[in-house]
Amino acid sequence: MFDLYLSAVIFGLTVSGILFLVSIGISIGFGLMRIINMEQMVYYTFGAYMTFALVSSTGSFILGLIAGTLVAATAGFLVETQLLRRVYGKELMFTMVVTFSVFMIGIGLVQYIFGLASKPVGMPFRVLVPIGGAQVPLYRLVVFVIGMAMYVLIWVFLNKTIFGKAIRAGIENPDQVQGLGINIRKIFTITFVVASGLAGFGGALNSPLVGVAPYMGFDMLLFAFITVILGGLGSIKGTLVSSLIMGQVMSVGGTIYGPLAFVGPFMVMFVVILFRPTGLYGVKGRAFGFEE
Amino acid sequence: MNQLARYIRGPLILVALLIVARYLFPNKMTFFWEVSTFGIYIIANDILYGYMGMVSFGQPFYLGVGAYAAAIYLAHIGHNIFIAISLAILAGLVTGLILGPAYIRLRGDYYALINAATCAMGLFMVEKVLYPITNGDDGLWYRSSMHQTPFLNLKMPSDVFWFTMIILGLVMIFYTWLDRSTLGAAFRGMKASESKMKFLGYDTFKLRWLGYTMMCVLAALAGALYAINYGFVNPSISEPARAAEVLVATLLGGPGSVYGPFFGTLAFLGIKDIVSAVMDRWELAVGILTIIVCFYFEGGVWGTIQTIGSKIRGQTIGSKIRGRTANQTGAVSIKTAEDGKS
Repeated sequence: MFDLYLSAVIFGLTVSGILFLVSIGISIGFGLMRIINMEQMVYYTFGAYMTFALVSSTGSFILGLIAGTLVAATAGFLVETQLLRRVYGKELMFTMVVTFSVFMIGIGLVQYIFGLASKPVGMPFRVLVPIGGAQVPLYRLVVFVIGMAMYVLIWVFLNKTIFGKAIRAGIENPDQVQGLGINIRKIFTITFVVASGLAGFGGALNSPLVGVAPYMGFDMLLFAFITVILGGLGSIKGTLVSSLIMGQVMSVGGTIYGPLAFVGPFMVMFVVILFRPTGLYGVKGRAFGFEE
Repeated sequence: MNQLARYIRGPLILVALLIVARYLFPNKMTFFWEVSTFGIYIIANDILYGYMGMVSFGQPFYLGVGAYAAAIYLAHIGHNIFIAISLAILAGLVTGLILGPAYIRLRGDYYALINAATCAMGLFMVEKVLYPITNGDDGLWYRSSMHQTPFLNLKMPSDVFWFTMIILGLVMIFYTWLDRSTLGAAFRGMKASESKMKFLGYDTFKLRWLGYTMMCVLAALAGALYAINYGFVNPSISEPARAAEVLVATLLGGPGSVYGPFFGTLAFLGIKDIVSAVMDRWELAVGILTIIVCFYFEGGVWGTIQTIGSKIRGQTIGSKIRGRTANQTGAVSIKTAEDGKS
């Protein structure tokens, strides 16, 4: 019994790592650009499918990881420069609908190229590590460690480099940053490309665990939104903490009672929105009242 | 009398067009039936999105409430189809009255997401928790337990078509009335600026609640029509993944206009019908189309028809159209003043 729950906790940590990688884009997208990024999961899907394509053609997972990240970042660059620039500053509803259509186009492209069926992706290594009586796949631990390492990297980037400081200032007040002579548009583009690259990276890492399917981004989109709302919009630390919580809710909850793996997160979101709409670390998430 | 004709003329013409089309293309009856039912569903969403400016990602939940209310009655309790429809409407009403006060206080994006959460939880309830009643993924089958009804035999799809036409006509007359009434103007005003509406003395909470409940009732009615025509219901009717269809169809038609939902439904289902004959799935086409509509045709199909129509008919009649949308122009000017201030 104990080892069952132990392995559930470790599985949950893996889920947390993936969730953290894919929800950063949504969190920063709201904090910095004030748009609701529904299409973030296109990059997740692209990353996963590139890994699938390269693993099944060349057999090298590392190559797939790199290609997935690069393709996702390129897609993010194209979408940001060609489309999203026209959307900044419009009302939230408009950004939601436009980015959601980008998401649909992404799903359509994937279906057009790779077909409708879901496909498995080969595990890069199949080593099992014994921890406290439970046999845990090493790959799952690696995914968690990579997720945490990414958090540290992002933290250092945001707090120790001048560019990261500009981004943080932009989250506080974009107009004043512009007034200081910093090109905020350029910051938007670079941040967006990095975030979409991270989402693609998350998709590539997750593909051996869940396989690939055209609609894989849809459930992940809802889970990522729940993570971001629980953590507080625009807060990186909040995203980390809430992704750790969500991972356990999905994994341990799913072990106690199967369907909780899917519904548990929604219950969490339900309670959070109704009773603490700012999330754990949010300052801006004022959910009540329509006027900004 | 003239007043009444103003509300009735447009809806009657559209319903007559559907009926004519159904006899011109006899083997497309299901398609035209779906246009009318889906149309009611889109009208429900448009009250929320087009008039009050609230996006919801969980519309299939409200459709499912109606469908399951009718289905559970027909499968377990009774046989009368009209009671089933009334129960579905009642279920929508109760849902709106109970969930309303909690949800409508939320800001736009939170409102959209809590609806997505509601939809996912509704699916879970139907699939797992209420399994003894709803039969989970297998769905409820009850065509044999439906009793025949007088005048229109609702066990026959061809008679359900006529019944749906009557319902669609009534809903559209109601919707036309809403568009031209003070209530509709208040909804639009709330979309433009809620604080100004409060200042004018409107209780915006109650208005929002009313609009939300209207949406619930109409969506549940559409769900009941689906349930009766198909003779079975399964959880796929309220899948969260289908929430996108509703938004796209609303946007395509032109949100916040009288005939927008109708033309949006026609365009959306038509494109889906044509595209799915050429390609496996329709996401790509619908996604590209939505972006084009978002950026270049803000009024949607109906808005474009209106613009072209007023250009053809010239300025004299064009000014009449402009006069009718005075409410909207008023709302826009309030908004511009506010933008200038901030």
